[in-house]
This record gives sequence, structure tokens and C-alpha cells, in this order.
Amino acid sequence: MMPKTFAPAHAILAVFLLFLAGGPLWLPEFHITLLNYIGLYGLVALGLVLLTGVGGLTSFGQAAFVGLGAYTTAYLTTAHGLSPWLTLVIGLGLTLVFALFLGFITLRLSGHFLPLGTIAWGISLYFLFGNLEWLGGHTGMTGIPAVAIFGLELKDGRSFFYLIWLVLLGAMLTTRNLLDSREGRAIRALKGGSVMAEAMGVNTARSKILIFTVAALYACVSGWLYAHLQRFVNPTPFSINQGVEFLFMAVIGGVGHVWGAVVGAGLITVLKQWLQDFLPELLGQSGNFEVIVFGLMMIFVLHRARNGLWPAIARFVPAPPQERHAVTTAEPLPRRQLPAAGTVLLQAEGVTKRFGGLVANKDMALTVKAGEVMALIGPNGAGKSTMFNCISGVNPPTDGHISFLGQPVAGLEARQVARLGMSRTFQHVRLLSSMTVLENVAIGAHLRGQKNYLAAGLRLERQEEARLLAEAARQIERVGLAEHMFDAAGSLALGKQRIVEIARALAADPCLLLLDEPAAGLRYLEKQALAELLGRLRSEGMGILLVEHDMDFVMGLADRVVVMEFGEKLAEGLPEEIQKNPAVLEAYLGGVE
Amino acid sequence: MDLQILLLLGQDGLTNGAIYALLALALVLVFAVTRVIFLPQGEFVAYGALTLAALQAGKLPGTVWLAVGLGVAVVLIDGGLALKSGNLKRLPRIILGNLGLPLVLLGLISGLEAEALSALALPLQILLTLGIVVPLGPLLYRLVFQPIASATPLVLLIVAVALHMTLIGLGLVFFGAEGFRTQPFSDGAVEIGPLLVQHQTLWILFASVALIALLYVLFERTIYGKALRATALNRTGARLMGISTTMAGKLSMGLAAFIGALSGVLVSPMTTLYYDSGFLIGLKGFVGAIIGGLASYPVAALGAVLVGLLESYSSFYASAFKEVIVFTLIIPVLLWRSLTSHHVEEEEE
Amino acid sequence: MHRKTLIATLISLASGLAASAAWADINVGVSLAATGPAASLGIPEKNTIALLPTTIGGQKVNYIVLDDATDSTTAVKNIKKLISENKVDVVIGSSTTPSSLAMMDVAAENETPMISMAGSAIIVEPMDAKRHWVFKSAQNDAHMATAIVEHMTSNNVQSVAFIGFADAYGQGWYKEFAKIAEARKIKILANESYQRNDTSVTGQTLKILAAKPDAVLIGAAGTPAVLPQKTLKEKGYKGAIYQTHGVANADFLRVGGKDVEGAFLPVGPMVVADQLANDNPVKKSALEYVKKYEGVHGKGSISSFGGHAWDAGVLLGSAVPVALKKAQPGTKEFRKALRDAIEGTKNLPAAHGIFNLSAQDHQGFDQRARVMVKVENGTWKLIK
Repeated sequence: MMPKTFAPAHAILAVFLLFLAGGPLWLPEFHITLLNYIGLYGLVALGLVLLTGVGGLTSFGQAAFVGLGAYTTAYLTTAHGLSPWLTLVIGLGLTLVFALFLGFITLRLSGHFLPLGTIAWGISLYFLFGNLEWLGGHTGMTGIPAVAIFGLELKDGRSFFYLIWLVLLGAMLTTRNLLDSREGRAIRALKGGSVMAEAMGVNTARSKILIFTVAALYACVSGWLYAHLQRFVNPTPFSINQGVEFLFMAVIGGVGHVWGAVVGAGLITVLKQWLQDFLPELLGQSGNFEVIVFGLMMIFVLHRARNGLWPAIARFVPAPPQERHAVTTAEPLPRRQLPAAGTVLLQAEGVTKRFGGLVANKDMALTVKAGEVMALIGPNGAGKSTMFNCISGVNPPTDGHISFLGQPVAGLEARQVARLGMSRTFQHVRLLSSMTVLENVAIGAHLRGQKNYLAAGLRLERQEEARLLAEAARQIERVGLAEHMFDAAGSLALGKQRIVEIARALAADPCLLLLDEPAAGLRYLEKQALAELLGRLRSEGMGILLVEHDMDFVMGLADRVVVMEFGEKLAEGLPEEIQKNPAVLEAYLGGVE
Repeated sequence: MDLQILLLLGQDGLTNGAIYALLALALVLVFAVTRVIFLPQGEFVAYGALTLAALQAGKLPGTVWLAVGLGVAVVLIDGGLALKSGNLKRLPRIILGNLGLPLVLLGLISGLEAEALSALALPLQILLTLGIVVPLGPLLYRLVFQPIASATPLVLLIVAVALHMTLIGLGLVFFGAEGFRTQPFSDGAVEIGPLLVQHQTLWILFASVALIALLYVLFERTIYGKALRATALNRTGARLMGISTTMAGKLSMGLAAFIGALSGVLVSPMTTLYYDSGFLIGLKGFVGAIIGGLASYPVAALGAVLVGLLESYSSFYASAFKEVIVFTLIIPVLLWRSLTSHHVEEEEE
Repeated sequence: MHRKTLIATLISLASGLAASAAWADINVGVSLAATGPAASLGIPEKNTIALLPTTIGGQKVNYIVLDDATDSTTAVKNIKKLISENKVDVVIGSSTTPSSLAMMDVAAENETPMISMAGSAIIVEPMDAKRHWVFKSAQNDAHMATAIVEHMTSNNVQSVAFIGFADAYGQGWYKEFAKIAEARKIKILANESYQRNDTSVTGQTLKILAAKPDAVLIGAAGTPAVLPQKTLKEKGYKGAIYQTHGVANADFLRVGGKDVEGAFLPVGPMVVADQLANDNPVKKSALEYVKKYEGVHGKGSISSFGGHAWDAGVLLGSAVPVALKKAQPGTKEFRKALRDAIEGTKNLPAAHGIFNLSAQDHQGFDQRARVMVKVENGTWKLIK
């Protein structure tokens, strides 16, 4: 164990926790009430941080899940006399089923269809609550019993306070743990990096469902707490307006940050209260100006801090020094058995790709063997990257046959191809710019870990996590970027970002490596180092398929070359043959006189 | 259910759908140009209708003060900026452009006696209404959205939500909680087959079609329309070509305010409108807009009409579950649209 | 802390101390729906609170008014705040049934009397430990529904269609009305609902027309109640149309115009106070409120709902002096005494009727609290 460093941020956190723990002893009753509501709202907003802030999926429907939790317990405890703890489990189960079902349908919606989809079922559920006689209709249900722990009834706000905040802090901790794990990196890649993530073996559809479900479960628990705090439910608190307000809280607080949820819920709750107190004094009792001033203030806040308040606050508190994991000490991950040199790894025949009327690849064929560097060259727009996408499953071919290690892969998803041992880089760098180099590279090792999100949330996967990070660190050192390991990937020069892409591909422990213009933007010495690295990989028995424009680089490194033009194969052969091929020369130099 | 009921419901759905379609067009326009999902679009509808109602009642509508207030704020900010950069020549333009019309209208309306105001010819009253409500669009764009024009769509959406809350609150202060109805453009009805169609219904359908045609001409034929389209397709490219995205934003929001206010004026003789009516109407327009993928005008209009029809038929079959039915049936439509429309996922950071 | 706030705090502290040295002020907390869907109920109520007496029995009365935005969560937050922060002796509110039901638990737990202004009888029935602390100044919906049913039977109406708000108001009305109508052998042919700000109710109207009822009852409040009646007329409906007392304000007549002519509805007597017979016991007390309200807000500005707030004030006006004899405001004993005093109210004329409360009846109005009126020439016309 490393000694923990103690920073101002930790001190502030400790003060905050002490404040919470001692709060009920000295805070006035109403402050406790407000803190209770902040806790309830914060829990829902936390789900949105995960879903919207991190995962990039906007939902207006969270209030409906709150309602589901609240109504389940309200109905079962009053009509059937069940214990609240039992109804919590039932509510969670019901929410799970609902969320999986709704997620299954709505998460297929992309772009702006998703938020509207959430509005749609949010409104539907709300009116369903209001129209079912046995749920009390629009009038609501009274007489919900108090929750009891070990025979102690949590009847008043003060005792309930501890329950709410324990749940919220627990959820925050779990969420933070989850985000700081293998599954978490996959989730963080959803926003703006799903193509890359799929190519690294992440099942992004599953990750989406996962965060959608987690957010729904948080909302359900919040609803359960709400019902037993309020002891009355009616549909209005679960309307679409409230759903919008939850999103509002998350964004105002800082939608990308776990603490943003609490800050947002706190600010909005307190501000509303404050306006209710002070505006009548300022403007008189007669008008209703609260919502006007509230709206204006929110616009103002977002003008000043468009990423929400939490990042703005956090700037004033020196962050605790990045934990520099003792990375290389962990036991190495098991490695794949590489095929013997000369084995045919990849065989593509008759590959054709059409985009509407445009034929990007026509009847392309190539092979790559273990222990060789195969270069794919051709003028801009010749269809090289399209070919890459066909091979790696990112964008499957319209026609043709591709086999990898003797297995047909033309119909497989990118992540299934990745699992077979093929890894790639992208021509347009696809790194997650706010994540560190280490984390970016660790995404490459996604398929080499097994522990699921539950283990991640509870930190039961630390050993595996350390091994994954150690592997990532080793690859970073191997490509010569050790000094940038903890820098944000976006802060690196473009050439170096390409090298990070290679490290990420290597972290997958592939037997076939697809590199799309790895040398672009590199300086001479860096190119030499890269060539050396690729040479070494080749001698270890890896097969490499390379797209590159730098002819010196290609000719010095490649064992065989395929030349493409207008989507078709123009020539194939040894580098020296290609350099003499008149058709190639014509394509590149516009004809020899 | 017999044929006549079927037709009556169809007519009702079509009328509502026409209004939703207009709003859907406005939403698509604003989104395409500014990336703002303009939730407060519905408030323009309510403001338009209630402003007209106030004028007909011989009262000075509060929206005039809003326009003046926003104008003053813009003049202070832009004027301050102009002063700072020593660009005094721009001052008169800033003042006239932002404050001119609201002040003239304020003078005009408060100068008229209540009786004279309510006795004004309907077209004049409508003109006054549009004169009051339409400037709100560009003014609000300048104050609320221009400073954060480069923010993510999520932040823009949340700001739109905040603006929506503010405008609803102002609506309650200006007009009170009770509803208003205005005089129809022309009384009476015509018989079309088995149906008795109110004149106002015809006005709505006519105006919607005319407005859609007008927008088409605007986008296809005029330089401003082309500039808007260019901005919608490629913001950076448009800027490089010398098209001001600020101008495009103001223009699109002005158009949105115009469409909204006109919709309000059109429906207010048919139904009672309230300070908070806009949200639900806007939401249904929004559904149409999304069905059009926030990009295609004709599909958005069709989607909106579909919503109107769905609503009308479900209110007949099971009125208590109307919203449940409408919004549940929307989901498969969305699914179908989502799976068939092309788009690239990866962009936003 | 700013110096000004500091000084203000000191002054208020000092004055607070000085006051409590003598008798403490009476604090009345009010939570109502001044915004949101029920704003047309809450706004006249809020206006009325401003007209309530500021001294009762020689004691200064402070009214602390909060808006719950027609949301039950906010209503609960409000009552918790009123009780714990403002140390109120009694709570008036809220405007709607769900918000009132939500507040009830808090009132009972803190042993603070609460006077709801909402319609549904379930706020005060069945009497139990919780409702022990809860009173209601508005007539029960059942009260009003009975008046309608009586009018229907005496006019030979045998079948009715119902159309109402898709909210607690509409649903509550349907329930009460259906119960009483069934007992009187009136058939209910349709139960339709619509949203307060729907722009069209054509579908519902067509369904009602197809059922061919003798009469239609519209269970809605304020101006939104106009649309169904207008649409029914437009589509050629000729039967009788009944509205509920929720429409009794000037705006309904303004927006409805000739479309709502001929509608029947039950109202509290204050709505037609000047048409009441001079020997009507409610006339004097009703006129007092009407004059006061119209004096501030203009002729024809009264609504039923404002009257409920006034009547809550009337209840306090008679109960507070009794309670003051027993205990000092701001104490638990005073709240208990006040509760007992309200429960003991007898023969108290108010704007909507005569209060006669008991341990079992925490509403206290009888049939004198309702009259049937008809819309005629743009005014409410009392049906004698």
C-alpha cells in the first residue's frame, strides 16, 4: 500500500462528511428537510451524470422511474401491507424489467430520437399513474407507513436524513468506482468514441443498457425514499416537468462529475427556497416572480460556467495529486499464443464496398502472414481506409470474403473481430482527449479483463485492474511515451497521439495489427523509432498491415506491398518490384514520358 | 363509428396538426441554424394569442414592456461594446435596430384610447401583435443564446429550458392564470360534403400552407434564406464565406417568433389559450420536428400532422388515456425513423 | 454578513424579544397554488389572504404566504418550513386536493391545525387521528354534486354524460357525482376527460353526442371549462349543460360569452350575494367579502375560490379569541386550543355558508352553502 497523500480536497471532503454526520444534532428542522430533498434529488441527478454526462445519453424520463419506485412501495405497503424493505426489492426488480425493456427499445434510437423517446415514455407513465383507479388516480395515495430499521421507526426527517445520505454517498462511491475501472473506461468511451470502443472489443450497446439501468435504479431508490419520507404520493412529482428539472440539476451542477449531481440538486433546492423568502420582501407579496428570477439566474450561471458549477468550484481547490499507480509491479496478463511465422493470418478476396452508387472498393484481394509487414499504398481516395474498415468489421463489406485465422469474419461486428486477435489504429485519431494516455491505452486491453461492473462498483476487481493498467503502462513505455503516461491524451501533439493509438492497439495483445498512417506527423527520429518498433513486433511473429504515404518509410519496412487505385488493386509485389512497376509510377507521378 | 365522425375527427386532427406542423418547421429551422432545441417556441404561440386578446380588450399587453426591456438590455450591452471599441458610428444602428420598433409600438398603443384600440380593424391588431412578439425572437437570441453559441447542444437545451421557465413566469404576470379567446377572422362555416367547416379552420389550413410555401421561397430564392441554409449545413464553412452566424441565429429566431405568434393568432379564435398553453403545443410540434430528424421540413410537417390525427382519434376512443396512447405510439415511429435515417454517431466531445 | 442585514437581524431579534415579552403574534402560514396548473384557484385565494384582518382578538396576526406551484412535494416542503421556521400556529392550504392530502401528515405530526381550501371530502373524511387536525373551508364536492343531481331529477334528466379535467378535480367530481347520480337512478352514459390546456375536445364531444344524453356535466374549473361547452354547442348539442362551482369567476363568463349561456351550476351563495333574499342568513357575511374584494380588484372580480380563503379566515376570526383565553400563541397549547375552538365553531356565517363544525364533521356547511344558478345574459342568475 502506498501512503495516502493528504490534500486540501480531502480536508474539504472530511469537513463535508462531518457536517452531514453531525447535521441532525444541531441543524434547524427545516435545513434537515432541505438536505433530505437535496439527497433525494441528488440521487436521481447522479444517475443522469452517469447516463448523460459520462455516457452522452440524454434522458428526460428519470422522473417516471422515481414514480415507479414510489408507486410500487406506496401500493404494496398500503394495499397489501408488505414491509417497505420487501417493496424496495420488488420496486428495484420492477424497475430493472422496465429499464431493460425501455432501454432495449429506446437506446436503439440515436441522436435526437433518444431524448424524445424518453419524453414519450416519461409522459406515458405519468398519465398512466394518474389514470389508474387502484393507484389513487390524480388524487394520490395516503397512509404510506414509515420505514423501520431494527425496530426503529424513521418517522421524522432527522432520522430519515441518515438513511437518505447513506444511500446517496454509497451510490456516489459506487459510481466513482465504476467509472474508474475497465467497465468505466468503456462507458466513458460511449460519448464520442463508440466506433473506437467497438473496435477495441467493447460491447457499446451493452454499456448503454448498463448505465441506463443503473440510472433507472438510482431513480427508483430515490422514489422509494420519497414515498416513505412524504408518506403520500400523487402523480405531479413524477411529471415530465420534474424530469426536465432533474436534468437541469445535473447540468447546472456539472453533468460530467459525480459531485456535480449533489451541487446541482443543492443549488437548485436552496435557491428556490431563498427566492421564496426574499423576493416577496423585495417585490411585494402580490406577484409570482420566483420562477422568473430563477430562470434568469440559471441562464446567467450557464453563461458563466457552461460546464456546470462543480468544475468551476473544483478549480479553486487544488486537486489531490494524481495517484500514480505503482503500475509495473502487477503480475503480467496472460498472452495470446502467436501463430508461427508464415501462417496466413488474413485473407481477403473479392471485397467490394458500395456507398449508394459509389464503389469505394472493388474486388479487392490481399493476404497478410504472421511475421510480415504488408503495406497497402495508393493515392488519396483510393479506398485504403475503407478496406481497413471492411477488414476490421467497423464497416462491413457489401460483398466478398474475408477470413482471419481461417475463420470467416465478413459478417462479424468490430468487437467480435477484435476478440479474435485483430487490433487497429485509426487514420483520424480516435482518442478520448480528456482521459489520460494510460486510460486510453487501457481501453485497448478491454478484452483481457473479465470482471463485471458489479465487481467494479464494489472494488472487487482491483487486482485485475492493476494488471490491466500495468499492461497499458508497459505498452506506453514500449512505444516510448512513458513521460506522457498521465497527461491528458488531447494535450499531446498529433504525431504522438498516433503513437498512443498504436500502444492502445498493442494493449489488446493482437496477432494482426492494422495501422492506418501511423507515421503521419512524426519527425524523422520518431519515424525511425517507429520503424524499429514495428520491426521488432514483426520479429516477434506479429502480422502487420500498414497504410502509409511516406514511401521511404514503407519501402524500408514492408515485406510486401499492395497498391490501390480507384478502389481496385493496381499491383502487388515486393517493394523493389513495385518501385519499378510502370502502372504504379503512372498512378503516383501522373505518367512517365 | 360512422363516416361522419371519422371525417370530423380527421378534420380536427388536421387543424391541430397544421399548427403543430408550423411549430415543427420553426423548431427545425432554429435547430438547424443554432443547434438549440428551442423549447420556448410554444411561448411565442401563447404570447401571440394573449397579446392579441389584450389588444382586443383595449389593454396594453405586458409583452410590449418585455420587448422594450429586452431592447434596452441589448442596447446597453452592444452599445457598451461599441463604446469600448470606439466604434461610435454603430450606436444609432444599435439603438434603432433593437429598440426602435418596441418603443414606437409602446407609444402607439398607450397613445390610443382603450375603445379605439379594441375597435381597431382585426388585420391592424394582428399586425401590432406581430410587431410586438416577433422582435422578441432576435432580442432573446442576442441576450440568451449568442453568448454561448459554441456550447454543446445539451447546455443549449438546458438554457432553453431555463428561458422557457422565465417566459412562462412572465406570461403569468402579464396575462394572469385564466384563458383568453379572440375574435375569429370571419364568422360562419361552409359545407363540404357531410362536414360543416368553420371559416377559422379554413384560415388555419390556408395560412399553414401559405406559410410553408413562403418559407420554401425564402430558402430557395432569397439571399438570406440561402445564408440560413448554408449555416444549417456547415457553420464553419458559412462563416468562412462571410455569413455571420450571429445574423443567421437572430434571423432564424425572428422567423421562429413570427411563426409562433402567427400560430397563436390563428388558433386563438378556435380555442381558449392560457399563459402556459405553449408547452404542450410546442411539445407536439417538437415530436413532429424530431420525426423529421430535425432536418427535413416536409417530413417534420407530416410528422406533426400525424400527431394531430393520433391525438384526435385517441381522444375519441379513450380520452383518459389520450396522452398515453399518443406518446406510446410515437415510440415505434421514432424507432423506425431512427433505424432508417442516416447519421454519423461520433462527433460531440 | 452585510451590515444592513446585520442591523435588520438585530432589530427583528430585538423586536421579537420585546413582543414575546408581552403576547407573541399569531402566525398564520398559507401555502397555495399561486402558479402552476391550479393558478386560477390560488391567485384569488392569495389576493384574499391580503384582505384578512391583521388583528384578531387584539393580537397582531402575521400571514406568511408561500406558493406550492400546484406540486405536492413543494406543498409538503412549504408546510414543514412554515411549522419549523415560521413557528406558525395554524396553516391554511392548499388549493388542490392532492397537495392538501400531502400536507395533512405533517400537520398532524406537528399537532398544528390546518384548514384546506380544496374540494374533495376525503380531506376530512373518514375522521381519524390524522384528520383530527385537519379542517376544510370549501364545500365538499358531494355537497355540490347533490345540488346538481337534485336539479337534474326535478327537470326530468334521466341520462348524463360527464366530461372533466384529467386531474384530481375532474376525477374527484366524477366519483362523487357518479355515486349520487346512481342512487337517484340517473344513468351515466359517458365519462370523458381532457387536459386543462388542450386546444380541442372534438373527439370527446363526438363520443358524448353519440351517446345522446339528456344532459352533460362538465367537471372543470375556470376558463378551461368553456371549451367543452362551446364544442358541444358547435356540434349541435341541444340538451342541458351543467358546470361545477369551479367555474364561478368573471373570466369564465368573459371567455365563454354566448357559448356558455344557459349553463346550470351550483355555487356558494357569495357568488350571487346581492340576489339572495334579504332574510338569507348568508347574505350579510357574503356581501361583506364581495364588497371588500371588489373594492380592491374591481367589480365582478370575485371567484368561488377566493371565498374559500376568506372563509378560512372567518373560521380563525371566531376561533382565535376563544383559544387566546386558554394559551399563548406560539405554544403547543395554543395550537391545541385553536384546534378545539375551530372544531367547536357553531352557527358562524361566512361567505359560502354557515359553519357548524363537530368532532365528526370538520367541514361544517349544510345545504345553505349552495344555490343553483344559471348563466343568463353574461351573469349568474339565481334559480329560486
